[in-house]
Amino acid sequence: MTPLAAVTGARATELRAAIIERLLNNQALLPDSPTHVMEVVGILKSYGIVLKAYAETLCDISERQFLVLFPFFKYFNGEITLPKLLRHWWHDRINYEYAEYCMRAMMWHGGGGLDAFLDSAEFRQLATKAIAAKLRGNPLMQLVNGLFPEFLLETVRMLCYYSGLGQFWSVMYPIFLTLSDRYDAGEIRSIPDVVDHIRSGLIADAARPITYRVQIRGNSYDIVPASAELTFLADTAIPYVEAVFLRGTPFFGLVSFNAQAQQISRDQGEFSYGALFADPIPTGAAGIPPTLLMQDMRHYLPPYLHEFYRHQGRGEDDLRVKICQTFQKSMFCVTTAAITALAPYPWTTRYPAEQAANREFYEQWLERLATSRLWAVQA
Amino acid sequence: MATPVMPLLSIVLLVPLLGALALSLLPQTSGGRTYRSLAAVVMAIALVVSLAIARLFDPSNAAPQLTEALPWLDTLGLSYRLSVDGLSLPLVVLNNFLTLIALWATSVNLPRPRLYYPLVLLLNAGVNGAFLADNLLLFFLFYELELIPLYLLIAIWGGARRSYAATKFLIYTAISGVLLLAGFLGLVWLAGASSFDFDPQRSTLLPLTSQLILLGLILVGFGIKIPLVPFHTWLPDAHVEASTPISVLLAGVLLKLGTYGLVRFGVQLFPHAWQVVAPVLATWAVVSVLYGSLMAIAQTDMKKMVAYSSIGHMGFVLLATATATPLSILAAIAQMVSHGLISALLFLLVGVVYEKTGSRNIETLRGLLNPERGLPLIGSLMIVGVMASGGIPGMVGFVAEFLIFRSSFLTFPVQTLLCLVGTGLTAVYFLLLVNRVFFGRLSNDLTELPPVAWGDRLPGLVLAALILILGIVPNWLIHWSESTVSLLTPTVATLMPL
Repeated sequence: MTPLAAVTGARATELRAAIIERLLNNQALLPDSPTHVMEVVGILKSYGIVLKAYAETLCDISERQFLVLFPFFKYFNGEITLPKLLRHWWHDRINYEYAEYCMRAMMWHGGGGLDAFLDSAEFRQLATKAIAAKLRGNPLMQLVNGLFPEFLLETVRMLCYYSGLGQFWSVMYPIFLTLSDRYDAGEIRSIPDVVDHIRSGLIADAARPITYRVQIRGNSYDIVPASAELTFLADTAIPYVEAVFLRGTPFFGLVSFNAQAQQISRDQGEFSYGALFADPIPTGAAGIPPTLLMQDMRHYLPPYLHEFYRHQGRGEDDLRVKICQTFQKSMFCVTTAAITALAPYPWTTRYPAEQAANREFYEQWLERLATSRLWAVQA
Repeated sequence: MATPVMPLLSIVLLVPLLGALALSLLPQTSGGRTYRSLAAVVMAIALVVSLAIARLFDPSNAAPQLTEALPWLDTLGLSYRLSVDGLSLPLVVLNNFLTLIALWATSVNLPRPRLYYPLVLLLNAGVNGAFLADNLLLFFLFYELELIPLYLLIAIWGGARRSYAATKFLIYTAISGVLLLAGFLGLVWLAGASSFDFDPQRSTLLPLTSQLILLGLILVGFGIKIPLVPFHTWLPDAHVEASTPISVLLAGVLLKLGTYGLVRFGVQLFPHAWQVVAPVLATWAVVSVLYGSLMAIAQTDMKKMVAYSSIGHMGFVLLATATATPLSILAAIAQMVSHGLISALLFLLVGVVYEKTGSRNIETLRGLLNPERGLPLIGSLMIVGVMASGGIPGMVGFVAEFLIFRSSFLTFPVQTLLCLVGTGLTAVYFLLLVNRVFFGRLSNDLTELPPVAWGDRLPGLVLAALILILGIVPNWLIHWSESTVSLLTPTVATLMPL
């Protein structure tokens, strides 16, 4: 429960040294153990299934709900049937709202090439063209657009994030699902294996282009063209990790905070409310976004992980808290994959200067994660 | 009124007595679950019998009903004489119902079950007898009878300071009994009567001074039992040290013996003297209400807070009893039942919190409403309980308190308004409790709490349901007593300015 920053004295020194040693030796922020491997792979399998649904819906919204101002059926992926509607009202469905929270967090924090492109003249020109095509024959909306010209532009920017995050998750979910398949086949046996698998997946698709195009009355309109040269790793993956894993948004339940007591920084860059900092214990309380993700994942837990949870704590009663705790462990593996990939030198280097540079790099990261849940997952 | 084919009042007394005897004869190897199940069956039978009494009871008839009389010790004026009216009937049903709830809430792993369960049944029989007795000496015998099992139940199965608390309870209640006995003996001797049979006309033959002295003895005697400030100090200790089921009975039923006694042996036996002391009693009620409420605010132990809350809420009963109009007596009866249900629920829930967390300290407990790792249903029921105690409309507490304030305001406007402040203070201390203990993030020390079984939840759910039902349909609570209260206050009602 204690954040790393609260660990002091010899214990803190020992713990930090152990984590840095692990990173320098191509291991992970999360200690290696068979239980951790089983938990992480299991949770990433359910996460992969949920991410697939999130990704498809976000892409669908960006393409088919383009400038639909009242998108009542945006979560239906074009399939509007009475049984699906009843399931939706009964809330027997995936919480796509969580995907939208992540999208908004990315848009709010910005960063990366997509953010920069959306402020460019080129984007404005392309978006204006698409807006004009969409509003053709709609005098009311033309009037609204004339009165508030930035409104639809901003809506298109948001749709670009829908598309960008959808494309990012479209790459990520196969990585998690194949990880599970490889674990089932006996190929994944340790946490470093997990990290290596994720890192390989990220690197394999690092240069994959991120583009966004909509169809309006049979014509294609580029919003984010290939010429913008946006790529998967630099322009969606890194901003996503920054916005969702690290910074987050100060929702109640992520961490305890008090805005009136000035406990929330005015500088978004100093935010530390992301998934790695989330407090799992309030999971399940109303209005806490991570709860939605945990609710979604509980439907797709692999049997071995579900059985493991049944014998922990309160069994089924605190399932979402346990999912959240495991999910954090898995996110530390993803973070490990990201930061080790960004390390200045390969871990195999034998040059002391390069090793020192790597060590300094990891120490900076550890400093940033000081108030995260890293300490809680060390047990 | 239908004619009973069986002496139901005696049966409702005998069932727990015989049950206690049978349980004490069970082989020692019987497990706690067997004792608890059998005791619950006995109490279920007693509850059914009391409901049968209610079915035969004619609410439109103000007079005592289903009277059963047998000569006993004529030379002492003691007779076995039982009857039921609109004052005693709700309390008998409440007693049997809460005893069943208390048995349900008792752990099957309790040590010495062969002694515990017979004592609980004996306690139930004593209280039933006191409510049904139609003879002053018989009432006194039953009043004293319940003292012994309750003392043992606290002294044997209580907390760390159980010996101190039980002894204090015994001393206070014994003094209460002595004062009552003195009052009853004085009344009979001074009136020159040869029998202790209940006779509301007896005191009218006495000079007012004698009436006031006798009433004073009875007031202090029952004031200890209620308890009223400054005779209250035994109650918080007894509650804190008693186990949860015994706290349920103590707050839910035992305290009602005091308020029942005030109406039956104060208002009804000494109507003229009551008229004289009524303003003092109303002011005494204000002191009890405000003192109990302010002390509750100062507590950090949840159980002590609920105990002081009881002192405050019993003050409301005194205010209504002091007013002594038919409506106010009806209000007092409603408050007795209402407080019985609400305090039972609150003590039950505090017991579950203590059992699961090992603490009752509102300064250390936090976030117990956490939906996955906390006690969310227990917390929700606690919110229902404190809302009912605070007099939120739609719950039985509102009905009772509204009747009290409505009926008392014209006679004692200042005292009533000050008691209304007490209602506001109820909201203050219970909001403090709920806010600190149940809201916020779950304390780190409490993230591995054991789950709450349905057996722990059901008694609270049943009580909460009853609190809501009687709040929505208050007629089910008060129509039993509407006729009786006119008979309870014949003289005073004509004397008091309304």
